Amino acid sequence: MESVSRDIMLSIEDVSKSFPGVKALDSVSITINKGEVHGIVGENGAGKSTLMKILSGVYKKDAGTIVFDGQTIEKTTPSESLKLGLSIIYQEFSLINSLSVGENIYLGRYKEAGGLSGSRQKAEALLKSIGSHINPRSIVDDLSAAEKQMVEITKALSLNAKVIIMDEPSSSLATEELKNLFTIIRNLKEKGVTIIYISHKLDEIFELCDRVSVMRDGHVISTRPIAEVTRNDMIREMVGRPIENEYPPKPQCVGGKMLEIRHIRTRKLQDISFDLNSGEILGFVGLVGAGRTEIVRAIFGADKAMDLEMYLDGKKLVIHNPIDARNAGFGLIPEDRKTQGLVLPFSVEENIIMASLYKFAKMGFLKSGQQKKVARHFIDTLHIKTPSSKTKTSTLSGGNQQKCILGRWLELSPRVLIMDEPTRGIDVGAKYEIYTLMKQIVEQGSSIILISSEMPEVLNMSNRVLTICDGRITGEFDPALVTASEIMEKALD
Amino acid sequence: MKTNMKDLNVKRIISEQKALSALIVIAIFMLILKPSFFSGFNILTILKSASVLMIIGFGEALVIISGGVDLSVGGIMCLSGVVIIRLMDTMPMPAALLLAVGSGALVGFINGFLSVHQKTEPFVITLGMGLALTGICLQLSGGRPIYASKASFGAFGNSSLLGVPTLIWCMLAVMAIMYYLIRYTQFGRSCYAIGGDYEIAVYSGINALKIQWSAYVISGILAALGGVLLSSRLNSGSATYGGPTALYVCCCVVLGGTSFSGGTGGMIRTAIGILLFSTLDNALPMFSAFSANVYLQQLIKGALVVIVVGIEYYSKKLKRERV
Amino acid sequence: METETKTKKSALNRIVYKILNEYLVVVGIILFAVFTMIMEPNFMTVSNMGNLMRQFGPLAFVSLGMTFIILAGYIDLSIAGMFSLVSAVSISQANQYGAGRAILVGLLIGLAAGLINSLLLLLFGVQNSAGALFITYGMSLIYGALALMYSNGATIHLKDGVSGLEALGKGAVGIVPISFILFLALLALLFFLQSKTYIGRSVSYTGGNPVASRLSGIPVKRVTLLIFSLCGLMTAVGAIVLFSRVTSSGPTEGTGYDTNSIMAVVIGGTSLKGGKGNVLRTVVGVAVVTLMSNCLNLLGVSSYMQDFTKGIIMILAIWLDNRSGMMGGAAVED
Repeated sequence: MESVSRDIMLSIEDVSKSFPGVKALDSVSITINKGEVHGIVGENGAGKSTLMKILSGVYKKDAGTIVFDGQTIEKTTPSESLKLGLSIIYQEFSLINSLSVGENIYLGRYKEAGGLSGSRQKAEALLKSIGSHINPRSIVDDLSAAEKQMVEITKALSLNAKVIIMDEPSSSLATEELKNLFTIIRNLKEKGVTIIYISHKLDEIFELCDRVSVMRDGHVISTRPIAEVTRNDMIREMVGRPIENEYPPKPQCVGGKMLEIRHIRTRKLQDISFDLNSGEILGFVGLVGAGRTEIVRAIFGADKAMDLEMYLDGKKLVIHNPIDARNAGFGLIPEDRKTQGLVLPFSVEENIIMASLYKFAKMGFLKSGQQKKVARHFIDTLHIKTPSSKTKTSTLSGGNQQKCILGRWLELSPRVLIMDEPTRGIDVGAKYEIYTLMKQIVEQGSSIILISSEMPEVLNMSNRVLTICDGRITGEFDPALVTASEIMEKALD
Repeated sequence: MKTNMKDLNVKRIISEQKALSALIVIAIFMLILKPSFFSGFNILTILKSASVLMIIGFGEALVIISGGVDLSVGGIMCLSGVVIIRLMDTMPMPAALLLAVGSGALVGFINGFLSVHQKTEPFVITLGMGLALTGICLQLSGGRPIYASKASFGAFGNSSLLGVPTLIWCMLAVMAIMYYLIRYTQFGRSCYAIGGDYEIAVYSGINALKIQWSAYVISGILAALGGVLLSSRLNSGSATYGGPTALYVCCCVVLGGTSFSGGTGGMIRTAIGILLFSTLDNALPMFSAFSANVYLQQLIKGALVVIVVGIEYYSKKLKRERV
Repeated sequence: METETKTKKSALNRIVYKILNEYLVVVGIILFAVFTMIMEPNFMTVSNMGNLMRQFGPLAFVSLGMTFIILAGYIDLSIAGMFSLVSAVSISQANQYGAGRAILVGLLIGLAAGLINSLLLLLFGVQNSAGALFITYGMSLIYGALALMYSNGATIHLKDGVSGLEALGKGAVGIVPISFILFLALLALLFFLQSKTYIGRSVSYTGGNPVASRLSGIPVKRVTLLIFSLCGLMTAVGAIVLFSRVTSSGPTEGTGYDTNSIMAVVIGGTSLKGGKGNVLRTVVGVAVVTLMSNCLNLLGVSSYMQDFTKGIIMILAIWLDNRSGMMGGAAVED
């Protein structure tokens, strides 16, 4: 017994947590061993983030026992759990942009660190210890996502974290930066730090983790050493049904040339030209910051371009703003659905009819009956899970939120639909639904430009792939004929 | 890759110091056209008239940096001025002073309670508070300026130490204290954190409630202090300055380079922002066009606000459009 | 059977709870009015009712205009200056050329001033309320200065016998003043605009999330032009109605209308963050303020203490409203 308890870092036993109307965690039990990298996978709504928030003190558990490093924790606050040695790195980072790196790392603890200058010195030392050369005086706002992550990790180290929870750490990293992160995690492991790694990217789980727990609907379905699990097992347990394929069969309805883009030039982009065929799904692959979003925003009129020529069906297009783009038959599902896509406090209905509202107006006057019908139509056809069309979109899950935005544009039957990271942060089941919808869209003659950082998604859904690097198109591929690494090479150029 | 610190800092300073640039431009103008502007006496006059507003501004800046806003400072200023004049008849000066400043602290406490503890929108809460305080002030003063009974009171506000008006020394003292507070104390850095990202600050163990609340109390204290000094200088208390002061001070703070949304800014910038307007108030009447038409000064001030703020947003717009 | 009565009871409970929660302010004011009725019998007289409706004038118009601004997530502090300017110029025009031209000139000035505001905001690329706050504040100084220069700092008096304006300011249909009728007409128009027209709905969307709105084809720029021009226009209406009634215009007549209209809008329940709210709610807010002033006047409270009371009640109103959680339903109650 003694040796077993010495190896257990964190013991979660029968923990439950309910919110009004929802049982988020139902008698969850997991043991995390000392010094392991423990993966946690599960769909959105499975309870992962609720569990993490209970551990870090943001929420209070309703029932159950938590023992952290031999100490029973009844309830805690975020600052207490930090002191105990539990750090959590959120997807969106918890840094104060206007303060410096040093001030962020020792936020709220300057006295112990020896004042502001002491904090700076200690921060520099810690950063070096994980191989980073970031200047502690730099303002966080000026750092890249990968650098910010370094700061977060350093912050955890400065707190002598025994356990570091990483929530979707790779979501804003490029491949090289991801490799760097893995190296750091392995180093941390050698130093005896326990890592809890939450991710949708099953490849990463397989590469990095010693054991993995699968959660679904507030339960822990299994906890097993990684060697004893297959990808299919995991997906099956996450979703509760065996998924034959994660992707529908690739649509094969590419027609003739429909859209010609010529010579996009902006501060970042250098002479981008490409064609888009009707019925085609065109994938954009590249590192974060390579210019993929810039290209589509220029096409959509969201950003100004120094130069840009567009021809739709051979006729010249002039697009100065999103209104022009919409009128020309374009649609854009933005990268960040919460801040750029939805009006969160508004209802599902209001969000769905947003882009097509102008069509309901005769001489400027609106008729309400039509709006309800359209909203209802998409709630049904897209299977948007919501109690009613008047529900605020802020209460919906990520997948359903994305479907609202999708429905918004589908109502206009766009000829070119641009989807920027459409399945980011969405569970496997909802992803499949979106892929199926994409297939239906192109089968009706429209085209899709798909920006995605998930290689499997791009490979499985695109008819053609363009690699973008440093503002240039560096390659064009048929994903059926090449390997992922060939494509990635061109993206890294 | 080591980030090039020098480049970033210099760029940031230039882009953020519009008020300073405007001030320098005005100084050059005056140097050429009206050199008498630069007499020691005149400079001191400008500083003296700016001192009260600067003191209030330092408090306001603290509140804005920590993510709030205090539009009641005008009302507090009036109130403390009237309170001390009324009280000096019935109690010794130090006691009256304490009560006057204490009234500011009390108001600040209430502001903090409603805005921070009760999480009600500070813009409207402090606006209403300012209105209420101006009302009390008018009531207490009967709508007219009331005069101090002790001559020493007025003498203080107009006295000098080592050739420099006492008011300026007071302002410098407050500025030094606030500067130290905001840059070198945990409290101060936490203010930036709270204004920068409230949740993160809280999760890092910062007691955001206490700190934001304290910011309002400090603002109340400094506004009351400013009110006392002002009535000392005028040797009377009145409600006239109450209304427009708050917005004026906020404007100066923002012009100086403190972002309205919080998380950035500083005391020196605030001082420059206020100095800018005070300089204009002093410089413009030196030209006959303006001394003839007093209202033109207001026009120029308004134009200046629009231009400076406009330039800041325009440059952000250019950056956004990335062309 | 038992469950039926239980659900009926709980439904009633819920309604009462909801009324108390969302309309606490209104309930409070009605109680206050009842109190005044008891203490001061003059309250329920015809002449007082007429007074009450008349007092609805300037602030009400301005607040209607301000509603659109706040709905879109902006703030307009230039109202004070615009008001003073329209007042000074229009009343002079009335003295020289009569009612028709005075009204026309006044409205045009208001419209132009509002338009200039919006053009500046568009030029500078201002997208949040903070920028709008300071730029309109600066514009208020400019417009106010122009008003002062035009009037030379003096109060301008309206000549006797300017027919159209007399009717506007003091005329009535029965006990209902013409200005109140005008108010109701504009209210209906603006409500229709806000909830039933594309551009009106676009205002709410813009306030809810300007980035998402722009990317969805909502004409954000047109919205900006509309709301500021409208606000300028409504400010002009308010100014004209006021000097028609009091037959004079002071050099800084507009003082206080900016903050008071913001208060009225916020008390009514429209959030400063934008997106949620409508003009009807603003009417409630204005009613609260107006009723309060009327009652306080009748109770003999000095005007200084009235300011104090107004400030306190505003604080209480917003505080309590905030506690109960303000906006429940959709952006516009169809």
